[in-house]
Amino acid sequence: MAEAILFYLFAIGALAAGAQVIFRRNPIYGALSLVGALFFLSGIYVLLAAHLIAILQIIVYAGAVMVLFVFVIMLLNLKEEELGEQRITVWKGVGLAAVVASFGVIAWRALGPAFPQGALMQGDRRVDNALLVAGFGGVKTVGRILYLASILPFEVTSLLLLVAVVAAVVVAKGRI
Amino acid sequence: MEVTWLHLVPLLPLIGAAICGLVGKWLPKGWVYAVALASVLLSFLIGLRAFIGLGEQAPLFHELWFNWFSAGSLRVDMAFSFDRLSGALTLVVTGVGFLIHVYSVGYMEEDPGYWRYFSYLNLFIAAMMTLVLGDNLVAMFVGWEGVGLCSYLLIGFWFTDEEKAYAGRKAFIVNRIGDFGFLIGIFILFNQVGTVGIAQINSAVLPLGVASIAALCLFIGATGKSAQLPLYIWLPDAMAGPTPVSALIHAATMVTAGVYMVARLSHLYVSAPGVMAVVAVVGVLTALWSALIATSQNDIKKVLAYSTVSQLGFMFIGVGVGAFFAGTMHLVTHAFFKACLFLGSGAVIHGLHGEQDIQRMGGLRKYLPSTRTTFLVATIAITGILPISGFFSKDEILGQALHTRAFSFLTLTPDGSTRLTWLGPLIYAVGSFSAFLTSFYMWRCYFLTFSGEYRGPESVHPHESPSVMTLPLWILAALSVIGLVLGLPQAWVHGTGLQHWTWEHFTDGVFSRPRGGAPEEFSPYLGYGIALIVGWAGWACSYALYFKRGLAGDELLTARIHVLRGALANKLYVDELYDFLVVRPFWALARGLFRLVDATLIDGLFVNGIPTLIAWVGAMARRFQNGDVQRYLAVTALGVAALLYVFLVRG
Amino acid sequence: MDFFHAHQAQHYLVLAAMLFALGAAGVVLRRNAIIVLMSIEVMLNAVNLTFLAFSRFPLVPNSPMGSFLSGHAAVFFVIATAAAEASVGLAIIIAVFRSRTSVNVDEFDTLKL
Repeated sequence: MAEAILFYLFAIGALAAGAQVIFRRNPIYGALSLVGALFFLSGIYVLLAAHLIAILQIIVYAGAVMVLFVFVIMLLNLKEEELGEQRITVWKGVGLAAVVASFGVIAWRALGPAFPQGALMQGDRRVDNALLVAGFGGVKTVGRILYLASILPFEVTSLLLLVAVVAAVVVAKGRI
Repeated sequence: MEVTWLHLVPLLPLIGAAICGLVGKWLPKGWVYAVALASVLLSFLIGLRAFIGLGEQAPLFHELWFNWFSAGSLRVDMAFSFDRLSGALTLVVTGVGFLIHVYSVGYMEEDPGYWRYFSYLNLFIAAMMTLVLGDNLVAMFVGWEGVGLCSYLLIGFWFTDEEKAYAGRKAFIVNRIGDFGFLIGIFILFNQVGTVGIAQINSAVLPLGVASIAALCLFIGATGKSAQLPLYIWLPDAMAGPTPVSALIHAATMVTAGVYMVARLSHLYVSAPGVMAVVAVVGVLTALWSALIATSQNDIKKVLAYSTVSQLGFMFIGVGVGAFFAGTMHLVTHAFFKACLFLGSGAVIHGLHGEQDIQRMGGLRKYLPSTRTTFLVATIAITGILPISGFFSKDEILGQALHTRAFSFLTLTPDGSTRLTWLGPLIYAVGSFSAFLTSFYMWRCYFLTFSGEYRGPESVHPHESPSVMTLPLWILAALSVIGLVLGLPQAWVHGTGLQHWTWEHFTDGVFSRPRGGAPEEFSPYLGYGIALIVGWAGWACSYALYFKRGLAGDELLTARIHVLRGALANKLYVDELYDFLVVRPFWALARGLFRLVDATLIDGLFVNGIPTLIAWVGAMARRFQNGDVQRYLAVTALGVAALLYVFLVRG
Repeated sequence: MDFFHAHQAQHYLVLAAMLFALGAAGVVLRRNAIIVLMSIEVMLNAVNLTFLAFSRFPLVPNSPMGSFLSGHAAVFFVIATAAAEASVGLAIIIAVFRSRTSVNVDEFDTLKL
């Protein structure tokens, strides 16, 4: 029951903050709302026993990435007239309809009778407890996966970040 | 007997061709000669060793070199077989080929393209050996096309001369027509027999219709390669090439490939008696036709070219009447004396600095004694006025034609006698008349060239060729004489050591017997008598007309038979006929096709039509690609929604 | 589905679908490139949520990857990639803003020529 309350709390918070991101006209409000949404999602991750990811979400996403966003928004310092009018076109309507239809299909699938029910750990509290005891989602278990099973993608990711840093400098600097 | 060295016979000249052709330009002249001559000589020695090794224990050497390709039930090997027939041919091709290589060293002395020339010549030997030794029709076809290619390259050897390049193309295209028939024949045989192996085809029992069509298709190939009616027109023009090439390819070896092929597939041909009759009739008509034309030609090489066509016709008479040994024997002896004649004419041309017209020759016996003597021997051999090689082989063919039983395809009477009894004697009569013409035109050629007084311009001083050129002439002249051993009648040599060397005895068992059986034993003396009379009659006519008078003999003859001679001098207008019947309609068709297919369909519809269509589609597509990222995203979202619907709802 | 016993995969999946749709709507509707980028971050988070949900509530008894925690590893990589994407994306926005003094995506259409 407590999990249900927490889930709905975080879920509604995340959706509300996400809606703020989309519909706020000024990007600075959007950025701050996105930070909020990321915090709420981090709570959801904890409910899913993803403790390490939840912490990374706050440190990397809400911390580092969002600072970058805010920094760029401040740098550009867009005036009200520079933001431009919000235009409504037919294609935007088509896109929105397609997005809503996609959501409808996914929700119909997840909530409908076709969703597979025979999964092993579904709602079994004893399994939950056994998982938590085994350290599911903790630093040690996720670390083993990252450094033993996925060492090559891990290293490639570090390379990707390096390339991204260089690329960002080259693109943004204009003249070196 | 399986062996592992047979592939060296075609491979060595091929390596020689590669060396001469690829790096010969930068090698010293002597090295090119050494490589070209040594590769052919080695092939000859290997062939000789194998030939001696043939015997009771080893009637056949066979080598499976490698499996070339397999597809389904079709399996084609690069495999060679060396029996008495292909062995003898190997010796003739590499032996005469080697002599002509030696001769070429002198003849091509001045030519800057000598390395190219020797490369082609070696390649020719390699291809010809593949043709002769190949144990299946596909390997044979490789050689068949290879010699055609070399022929084309060598006819057009001086390709800067437009006329010579044209002659090369003409030879190639006319040969292609025949090769198409050859290919169809191979397809039919594979379809019906299930293999392309010559030995398997020769042991298969085929229905008369299938055997006839296949044999006829293959014979069309033979008429192209061996210059028979109606595809002989390329051979006289092929004289545009260097004279040693004319001797090697267009007289001694390549053009006999058709005869060899028919003899090799003797079983197939005897099971199609109707085609045998066609072969014999085409042979005799060609012999007569080209002998007639040869009487009025003034280019010494053209005379010899038409003579070659005529002699090839004799060989086809031989194989056509079922006397395969006689046809192939004439093939061998003809290789000797015709090579000698051509090389002799080459020595004459060489000695007169390129003059080929016998009207400007005459009296050369003083200046070119060696050439004259060897030419005389070879002329005696081909005209048969003395019993040396050509006399025996040609008479064997005519005698076999007279007594043949091969045309038994209408054998309906119970006693097995043939219905077509008149065809053999008719062929004999026409063939004998052709032999008379042969004697006439060859002696005319000899008298006009070597007798009388020199008629050429003062500025040209005829001179004898170097010994590197005369030595092959002497060897070939000697072979033309010694070749008589091959044709000695069985009755003369029975029980003596020479018996093993007569061609009939030697090739015993290689060929199939005609359906009606071999001819009954007949006495050769009557035939010999007639042949001698015919030969001497030709000599006498020629002597009377040309020996004293020289060119005036031609005028005298023209005055008597004006129309015929005009027609003969113009080669009976066959080239004009072909021009009218084939070439012009072909050009018209090509022009029509150009307008309809090229200009309208390809240029209009495809070349210009497709870009127009693409431009139109592009103009349509432009509207979707207006650079608005969000419109792209909207369309992408539509696609995602559709995919989700398909996979999650429908799936 | 039991709405009050919120410990099933479906809850998280529907939430993820909602967030994804929200992000996609932002991408399709908004002109401001920075907000488009942030909407993309929302979509990425929705994907992360799906990974974690299936990692926690697998539909099969044994993971084909050896462990259900490979979902966590995937999320880790998505976060790293998102950081890289954000840095490059923002750098591009700065570069474009320098030349055009605008951050509206419907004005970035030079590539069509």
